[in-house]
Amino acid sequence: MKRILLSLLVASLFTVGFAEPFVWPSEWTSASADEVQMGGSVRLSELGELRTFNQFVSAESTAAADLLFNDALNSGARLVVQGPSSDEFIPYAAESFEISDDGTVVDIVLRDGIKWSDGTPVTVQDYFFAYTAETDPDVGSNSYDSWFIEDEPILMEVTGDNSMRFTFPKPDRTALPVLTFQPGPDHVLGEIYREGGAEALKAAWGTDVDLSTTVWTNPFIPVAYQGNERVLFQKNPYFGEWNVDSAGNPLPYLDEIVFNIVESVDAALNLYLAGELDIFNPSNLDDIGVINVAVQNGDIDATIIENASPVASSQFIVFNWNKAGDPFKQSLFRSTDFRQAMSHLVDREALIELVYGGAASPMWSNVYQVQEYWVNNDVPKFPYDPEAATELLAGLGFSRKNADGILVDRDGNELSFTLATNSGNTQREQIAQIFADSARDVGVNVEVQALDFNLLVDQLLSEGEDRPFDAILIGLTGGSRDWPFGSNVVPCGTNLHMYNTSGDCLTPQETLMTTLYYQGRATLDTEAAREIGLELQRVQAEIQPQVYTVSPSAHYSWLTSVGGEHPADLINALVGSRELVLTFKK
Amino acid sequence: MIPFIIRRFFHLIPTFIGATLLAFIIAQLVPGDFLTQKALNPNVRPETITRLTQQFGLDQPWPVQYINWMKNIAAGNLGLSFSSNQPVIEVIGQPIRNSMYLVVLSIIMLWALAIPLGVYSAVRQYSVGDQVVSTVSYFGLAIPNFYFAQILILLIFFFRGFTRDTFGYNSLILPVAQMTSSNYNELSPLAQIWDVFKHMLMPAFVVATSGIAGFTRVLRGQMIEFLSSDFIRTAKAKGLGERAVTYKHALRPAIIPFVAGIGSLLPALIGGAGLVEIVVSWPGITPRFLTALASQDIYVVLGLLVISSLLLMVGNLVSDLLLAVVDPRIRYS
Repeated sequence: MKRILLSLLVASLFTVGFAEPFVWPSEWTSASADEVQMGGSVRLSELGELRTFNQFVSAESTAAADLLFNDALNSGARLVVQGPSSDEFIPYAAESFEISDDGTVVDIVLRDGIKWSDGTPVTVQDYFFAYTAETDPDVGSNSYDSWFIEDEPILMEVTGDNSMRFTFPKPDRTALPVLTFQPGPDHVLGEIYREGGAEALKAAWGTDVDLSTTVWTNPFIPVAYQGNERVLFQKNPYFGEWNVDSAGNPLPYLDEIVFNIVESVDAALNLYLAGELDIFNPSNLDDIGVINVAVQNGDIDATIIENASPVASSQFIVFNWNKAGDPFKQSLFRSTDFRQAMSHLVDREALIELVYGGAASPMWSNVYQVQEYWVNNDVPKFPYDPEAATELLAGLGFSRKNADGILVDRDGNELSFTLATNSGNTQREQIAQIFADSARDVGVNVEVQALDFNLLVDQLLSEGEDRPFDAILIGLTGGSRDWPFGSNVVPCGTNLHMYNTSGDCLTPQETLMTTLYYQGRATLDTEAAREIGLELQRVQAEIQPQVYTVSPSAHYSWLTSVGGEHPADLINALVGSRELVLTFKK
Repeated sequence: MIPFIIRRFFHLIPTFIGATLLAFIIAQLVPGDFLTQKALNPNVRPETITRLTQQFGLDQPWPVQYINWMKNIAAGNLGLSFSSNQPVIEVIGQPIRNSMYLVVLSIIMLWALAIPLGVYSAVRQYSVGDQVVSTVSYFGLAIPNFYFAQILILLIFFFRGFTRDTFGYNSLILPVAQMTSSNYNELSPLAQIWDVFKHMLMPAFVVATSGIAGFTRVLRGQMIEFLSSDFIRTAKAKGLGERAVTYKHALRPAIIPFVAGIGSLLPALIGGAGLVEIVVSWPGITPRFLTALASQDIYVVLGLLVISSLLLMVGNLVSDLLLAVVDPRIRYS
């Protein structure tokens, strides 16, 4: 990675002193520069209301909030960004950035010519204010955690009129994304913070704010919030001064984005079918079927991308290794052979067909399938094979069935356990039931239990030697493109190390995974980190602490009148179907 | 009358405390809290959860939380929403107003449809028309609102297919979701009102249908009873016309229970139109309430319960007073 950084640095050295704009690479869009048109408006919708216009308060990721604060390329003047085509960091609001040889010091020179939407120039003070507010525990920003590496703070200092330095306590590839932070308007929110402290800052820019008093660096700025129903965004006139397309046209192309807040996916689908929305991402094959019919009837003229990629989340069965109160089950769940046998009983093909109508793919490792660069497709696999499962279980002493047809060992212990999942998630309930049916066929009695989500999480996060569950079917979302392993998940003793929360590593493989996890994090060279990641996945797949099931597919659809989507091979659940900045109306 | 009102007012206080305490305890019985979902994020440190728990006051025992909350309420402050850091009253104010539009129109529709239907059924008892009204209104009672709304949406889409094939008109006759059109901001004030009204028609009709059955049946029964009473015979005997007898002499006493019930409509006004709001994506209070429940944004939930119970109590008082006004037999002392 450093080689690329260096070349970017060299390239940028020639431009120092000029207000060079950032050129959006042509490979991020399927449209050529001469076919785009300026102006027009695009209507979007998503579930989840916008709860605040304050970047420091936004605690939740709702789609509306993402558009303002979280979407890498459609939000504000981030120092560096990751584009849709690669995980490498590209200097964006930074003119250059340079990482020291030991990976602990990053020097950044700010690009010239970036302005707030009121015309005020963006300065290093704006970044320093954002840093100050995000690291103030009283503000309680969602970004607070990202400014620490294991409790040691990452420090920022202003080193010149347009330069700043970030000092990391140690090299850590998962800490680099902190540099994608956005500036905070020092001349508006900074004033409020200096006068009234954290409380005043938190109270500022709620949904009742007069939007004309707010300032942004985003390509589209909010101009009206219509009663919990819609946010209107208009083109930021200053954005095009430092953002151009490959032909030199100022960006964004669109004049307006109408962001509809809907209360249910069905309502959004109805709006799309009524021609009231330009973009709608169907979540399942039923929705796609309805859209297809509407297209055939001539109701709407739409493009549908089916099975674009697996979604960026996982689904797995986790067994509880901490059952001191039930030594039989504890030794069972701690047995690698048992867990491999359980993986042999997950009929992934059946799950894909029966639960997802074919729109899913099997999952074998703890990295989301969509992260193609990182995922190890050659991990040991234990696919559906009841005979192999029977053999493994016989090896554990379960070779005889009792009168109920359930396997028992020499001491008469029944091979029986409870599998809980969250109620209301019909797909998970189906997965659990199909697994229970396959298990029953070989004599393993699995009782499926649907629990309230919070109760399930309480059980999962419970700590100590004796925890109140047998097995849980659940999933994780979130994670990074820089090191796709959860800091709370892989290392022993962390709170989402959910199979074993005793605090200690119980197997040599856990110890190894913990070591590999920290080693990979500290490796700034991406290729080398990937090698470590592949090994980590191999170890985890071998002992199956979590038995991974299947990953549903992401689908996309938009009216044909909307152009500027990613090229087909760049459409996936990690980066979506398009950059709004490069989107245009035909 | 005045002492009665004062006495009733003092009765409200223990009722209010009892209701809020019960609501608070039930909210506490639910497993987990607002931060539970956050705890399942692979990148949130446990220390952050601890810090936020303290910041939100969720680490204190519930009686302490309740007393702090009641103190705030006494000062007219419903607390802060965890998820937006905004005062609860701001979070729920606008959704309540949006819901109110829908509920008011549905009540108007209900009365406008149910009174004539009830009278007709009573006057033409056992006629074919009476049977049809009964059957249709029972359908309205039997179909769940959210399902009926979906059927109507489907019909609106079918109708578009019909108008497109026959007249080449490829648009919906009524909007199928939301409260306003995307171009609402560009409309003139009058056009804006019309836009909201168009969006309201379908969901308000759906909400009204479920009330029509009960309303017409009760009104029909009342009317039948009064139409066969002595004073109606007297009225007819002194030569009054059919219309005057029906509407002036029979309908008036028959409608008394409904007038008295107006007070209890108050909490319904802010209670929203239920799941219909989700189906048509109405930015009302039901979706907010359900989101707050699901994310355990407890003060939003409780804030809404407080306002509802206050209105219910005031509504009951108003009902009692109205009863005295419309029914000369009732006197309070």
